[in-house]
Amino acid sequence: MATMGNNNLNAKLVLLGDMGAGKSSLVLRFVKGQFLEFQESTIGAAFFSQTLAVNDATVKFEIWDTAGQERYHSLAPMYYRGAAAAIIVYDITSTESFTRAKKWVQELQKQGNPNMVMAFAGNKADLEEKRKVTTEEARLYAEENGLFFMETSAKTASNVNDIFYEIARRLPRAQPQNPAGMVLVDRPADRSQSAACCS
Amino acid sequence: MFGTQSRGDITTHDFNPMMMQYYRPSIHTRRANIVVKFQDLYGFNVEGNVDDVNILNEVREKVRQQGRVWWALEASKGANWYLQPQTPSLSEGISAASRKLSALANTIALKRLIRKGIPPILRPKVWLSVSGAAKKRSTVPESYYNDLIKAVEGMVTPASKQIDHDLPRTFPGHPWLDTPEGHASLRRVLVAYSFRDSDVGYCQGLNYVAALLLLVMKTEEEAFWMLAVLLENVLVSDCYTDNLSGCHVEQRVFKDLLAKKCPRIAAHLEAMEFDVSLVATEWFLCLFSKSLPSETTMRVWDVLFNEGAKVMFHVALAIFKMKEDEILMAHQVGDVLSILQRTTHHLYDPEDLLTVAFDKIGSLTINTITKQRKKQEPAVMAELDQRLRRLNSLKMDDSSPNSSPKQ
Repeated sequence: MATMGNNNLNAKLVLLGDMGAGKSSLVLRFVKGQFLEFQESTIGAAFFSQTLAVNDATVKFEIWDTAGQERYHSLAPMYYRGAAAAIIVYDITSTESFTRAKKWVQELQKQGNPNMVMAFAGNKADLEEKRKVTTEEARLYAEENGLFFMETSAKTASNVNDIFYEIARRLPRAQPQNPAGMVLVDRPADRSQSAACCS
Repeated sequence: MFGTQSRGDITTHDFNPMMMQYYRPSIHTRRANIVVKFQDLYGFNVEGNVDDVNILNEVREKVRQQGRVWWALEASKGANWYLQPQTPSLSEGISAASRKLSALANTIALKRLIRKGIPPILRPKVWLSVSGAAKKRSTVPESYYNDLIKAVEGMVTPASKQIDHDLPRTFPGHPWLDTPEGHASLRRVLVAYSFRDSDVGYCQGLNYVAALLLLVMKTEEEAFWMLAVLLENVLVSDCYTDNLSGCHVEQRVFKDLLAKKCPRIAAHLEAMEFDVSLVATEWFLCLFSKSLPSETTMRVWDVLFNEGAKVMFHVALAIFKMKEDEILMAHQVGDVLSILQRTTHHLYDPEDLLTVAFDKIGSLTINTITKQRKKQEPAVMAELDQRLRRLNSLKMDDSSPNSSPKQ
């Protein structure tokens, strides 16, 4: 959950997507400005943090880069629980990864934080000659599902910083001001009144 | 070329721990606390400061000393005394009893000795014996591994595709693992195992475990049997299958143990809503190979193969325990994570970790852990089952896009 104090916002961000789609590479490019042709496979998840200045505020992203193999799916809720933002990554040269990405979107729509900012990233955009997923198809899907969409390349750095900046800009700011020293926590009990009307 | 290739040629140069040259920091690096790049005992390129290099040099010296202890014992107790005793003969009388007694004394001596470290050159022999891998291998025809890799050669399965994808992503840059020969060897072990146990197939994480096994064991076939005994006998079952249910069980057991053994840390982390699985999942699935320096990982594995999966808990608890004060001062999830990351990456001296793991954590019996696992299993199964049903309901929504989402 995004928490705010003064003009500083802490935001948990999770990356989800098929194995080898380039989740870790996107993070490495964003956090360290580097690219490795062969990025170590992620097990469980890896944590990074990076602070961005947006307008007159700063956003500190606490980034969870998750493992992509299907069986690691059962660990994912631990990482997306309470996340303010998610980047769902697919590889434009793999239709399988696009299908997996759509499943992640569905899951987050059902299970994730309802105010989550979701970005849809078609990575490896530098591999145009191997493209299997058209930009139009992905854009249409993203529009229908209220995600913002960018094609990225961790290799050339194209759109990588942009996607994180765009998330930072879209994070909800109009949260009630926290009393000093307190952290807003999204507890089920806080919503019990509104939940009571649904049966 | 297929076959059980001896890797003896590799271990005699590049990263033979006994042959490694000392890294001598130059006057310039001593003056400033610059980051230096160096090769550790198993050939991994690592970055550290001059202190790290000095510690690593001390560790190399300790490894040599420990080797001398083992040679001395071999001289007094006889060659191969440390290998698992054969089944006692049926002959009765004092001689059988005294043999049993001396076997027991050897077991106790060996346990102590292994906690102090197995010399790298003896690791293949001792690991095969104490883990039960040698016994496992002896139950099948000698040609089992060669037959298996020949039978599966050229077969393409979902597992083999994922393995191929991960080969260059397993310890990239390592002087042997990241070569065509290293990739081919790792591939054979992982693909062969995926056929041996189709429930496991290939699980990411095993690539790192198998890679380190290849660096230690003398042959690819031995690495294969070590992998088999790990998954089939040493670790909790279903650690790497389908939905990683065994891993979920271990994480819950770990949380309970942390609350018992390090109650202040557990309470502090809980108040921060920090789930220890965030960091411990990787430790348990890669058996620390991605977090600890290589010789420290090997020292953990020495004890793991001799004493069983409880060692994973000892070590994981120790990492938290070592940084108790710092963790209690941290109030953000990110800060706790970076404390733990920094700690594990710089644990070049295995003694620092193992002393805490076994002396300060206190005893954990296999019984306690078995009981804890039994207690957690139903909860894990229920959680995974519930999750599966939720996901299935998503699929149903997907097939009828016009239906309104269920309330």
